Amino acid sequence: MFDVHEMEINFGPQHPSTHGVLRVLLSVDGERIINAKPVIGYLHRGTEKLFEHMAYPQCVPHTDRMDYVASATNNLGFVEAVEKLMGVTAQIPKRAQLMRVILSELQRISSHLLWLATHAIDIGAMTPFFYCFREREQILDLFENYCGARLTLNCMRIGGMPDDLPPGWLDDLEEFTGKFDAAVDEYESLLTNNRIWKRRTVGIGVISPEEAIEWGVTGPPLRGSGVNWDLRKALPYECYSELDFEVPLGINGDTYDRYLCRMAEMRQSNRILKQCIPMINATPAGDIKAKISRVVRPPEGEVYHSIESPKGELGYYIIADGKSTNAYRCHVRPPSFVNLQALPAMAKGHLVADLVALIGTIDIVLGEVDR
Amino acid sequence: MTQALLMRYLLWPLVKFLGAFIVVQAIVAAMNWVERRLLGLIQARLGPNRVGWHGLLQIVADPIKFLLKEDIVPSSSEKVAYFLGPMLPLIPTFMVYCLIPFGPPPMFIAARVNVALLLVLALTSTGVYGIILGGWASNNKYSLMGGLRSAAQMVSYEVPFGLSIVGVLMICGSLDLVRIVDYQANNAWNLFPQIVAFFIFFVSMNAENNRTPFDLPEAESELVAGYHTEYSAMKFAFFMLAEYSAMIVNSCLVTLLFLGGWTMAIDGKGLTTQQLVSMGVLGGIIGLAIFLTKMMFFMFVYIWFRATFPRFRFDQLMDLGWKWMIPLALGNIVVTGVFVLIGQERLMYWIGLATLGAIGFHIFRKPVPAVKAKTAHEVAHAS
Amino acid sequence: MRVEHPKPRWTDRFLLLDLFEGLKTTFYELFQPKVTVRYPEERLEPADRFRGMFKFSYDRCIACKLCAQACPIDIIYIDVHDEQREVDGKMKKLKVLDRYDIDVKRCMFCALCEEACPTKPKSIWLTTKTYELASYDRNDLYFNMQELEYWDERPRYTGLPEENAPTQLEGQKMLTGGHE
Repeated sequence: MFDVHEMEINFGPQHPSTHGVLRVLLSVDGERIINAKPVIGYLHRGTEKLFEHMAYPQCVPHTDRMDYVASATNNLGFVEAVEKLMGVTAQIPKRAQLMRVILSELQRISSHLLWLATHAIDIGAMTPFFYCFREREQILDLFENYCGARLTLNCMRIGGMPDDLPPGWLDDLEEFTGKFDAAVDEYESLLTNNRIWKRRTVGIGVISPEEAIEWGVTGPPLRGSGVNWDLRKALPYECYSELDFEVPLGINGDTYDRYLCRMAEMRQSNRILKQCIPMINATPAGDIKAKISRVVRPPEGEVYHSIESPKGELGYYIIADGKSTNAYRCHVRPPSFVNLQALPAMAKGHLVADLVALIGTIDIVLGEVDR
Repeated sequence: MTQALLMRYLLWPLVKFLGAFIVVQAIVAAMNWVERRLLGLIQARLGPNRVGWHGLLQIVADPIKFLLKEDIVPSSSEKVAYFLGPMLPLIPTFMVYCLIPFGPPPMFIAARVNVALLLVLALTSTGVYGIILGGWASNNKYSLMGGLRSAAQMVSYEVPFGLSIVGVLMICGSLDLVRIVDYQANNAWNLFPQIVAFFIFFVSMNAENNRTPFDLPEAESELVAGYHTEYSAMKFAFFMLAEYSAMIVNSCLVTLLFLGGWTMAIDGKGLTTQQLVSMGVLGGIIGLAIFLTKMMFFMFVYIWFRATFPRFRFDQLMDLGWKWMIPLALGNIVVTGVFVLIGQERLMYWIGLATLGAIGFHIFRKPVPAVKAKTAHEVAHAS
Repeated sequence: MRVEHPKPRWTDRFLLLDLFEGLKTTFYELFQPKVTVRYPEERLEPADRFRGMFKFSYDRCIACKLCAQACPIDIIYIDVHDEQREVDGKMKKLKVLDRYDIDVKRCMFCALCEEACPTKPKSIWLTTKTYELASYDRNDLYFNMQELEYWDERPRYTGLPEENAPTQLEGQKMLTGGHE
């Protein structure tokens, strides 16, 4: 008698909680999701193709624009890949390495703060958004004082760093690190114990460790499932092997565990920052560049180098022909893009309201997904 | 003679109703500013502060903006229902103002009805029709989902809403709001013996008004704007008006039922109704002020909740309503019945007081994680 | 390290303490100092290294075109011609700048041009602490040599309607900078 059919909903690309221009084609039965299909490409800028026509140093500002909330780690991944290709990784001075670590850990905190802000506001708690941005602003001030930009930093160069730290910068950093743990406590007082928050996140979008590995998921979504895989520990780059920190692992692999993981990661990053301050004071000022030629012309060959960006494994695959100053081919393995493919599997059977929580928990940035 | 009757039963109530209407509408308009400003202050920012002194002229600017905006009607909408949608929830909420005593009688009540409470419940529960109609008539999938959510939510929470009041009625023995208030002045606030009922009433009240954490019908991050996605200009303002009016009505109700209305007395000592009436006009004003203060406290709590809590999911909301609130309300009725039967109402006061004391003790036990953020003036260089 | 799941006691759950914890935080924050900067009455002073609007010095420039080469998006346009000129009593072949244009609307403020500049002090630099670059016309953001060099005197953004704002100098583009 009744013609039963599913309702098709275009969730996005213009929607308050799709974090940019993600479009999810939803088939819903009432509110229950039967199928969720992410449609991407609305922010495609051809970054990889651009890299083929640019000298290596010119690519660095373009990497800012992929994961635009974590540009320092994007810079880091690219310059390290090129350095590895040139074989100068060992020549990078200690001070430059520490500066890179500091900047990328600050960036990790700021990216996680942005994630928490948007994730919370997606689930309906609007106040953590502003508290997170309050602290994020201080990080951006630190970036501004160091390199002159707040968001698209362009703060690393092949072979080192562009500038030494300005005077007083480490004091500001110390002040920030001293306050930051209390700030995380404040966010947690609003969310961690809250029964509504728990109801919205516990048991939502469970990924088992096996599934997570099969999907190629990396970063906090992988660690939330309990897989101990952090590139800072597994394949240490820069001077992470000298630093003392722990990798938080989840237990159940649900949205709540991923939330706890990221909160713990912020505390761990803060711990790293605190360790870096005395270490960098021990290095000679001004020793921030390896002695390499100004014209970057790597030898013929190819390299894949990946780092732990706030969102997961960020890899750069570069082929150099040995003659020109630009890459023959540069491929980026963005964490958001790979993590996003777990969305349909995670969303199946949940409600529309959960989809919002799931998009938040994967922590995608569309600039990186579409490149 | 007829003139006197007309005066007594038509003109005078009408004047009082208009008075109440104007005052409440003013509060509604002000609430728009108060809410945004308070949310801002809670969230480490300032909120609207540009129009007039501390942004107070926002109260005027918002309605003007609503009136002047283009009124867009979606071409595929169901026209009649689309127009009816915003208007239906307004009428019953306005009618309720006749029944609510804003101060000591007979001055501040337009029509004293001996079953006022029932009538208020009946009228407020009709507010949902407009939302369903509006959501359906917009011919938008998000609106439809918002409307459906709203329908299910309001119908489910109507039950615990009504049941939670029964305990109060059993103690006070009347449906007349004035007598309920008088009873509380002569004993103590119903909040203490009926703390469970108060909790249920308060939760259901939030759910009825689509306020956080139950704001699913208009959940911004899920349904864009829910049932009023397709509404603009004054039609949207009508929805807002109805929502805030209903919030005020419910705040009034909770004040009357659980917080002793316009009185400020325990065990007949203090500002009881008789005391206030004997003081004449001054007493009336004091009573009104007490009532409005209590009411505004609950309006503040609405905003406070909105700033603090995440949103429930639709099925969890129904779960909470049917599996927790209704059994709890029924249990409360049984327990209250037993206490009333054995004549130990006083014992219930102490239980309530002890619970509140325990919560208060635990709240102040743990310090707030203090974040000393740099203020704007510390970082800014004023020019 | 495994994350710790909070395990509230049943009494805490019964008394709704988890909810009150959040309410307490928000109530506390209500009375805390606010971080809003009331622009344009209050302004943030950009950092010393802040990458803002360009500034160019014709006198310092040696027309080497390194900045144009360094630019990742090729928005610096330079034309040069050679000229015989007398310097210190000797005839010398000099490069003379004919055109130095920057298409600022496409610029992404990476400051690679500043880094590439070999003169000391730099002849192109971005550390002007200027961030009020908005314009009503996109063509206003194409700057030639003169405009890049002389833009200090222009009025800054006041937030006032245009008729009340200080009048701009004749023949110059509206460019509002954070300069005192």
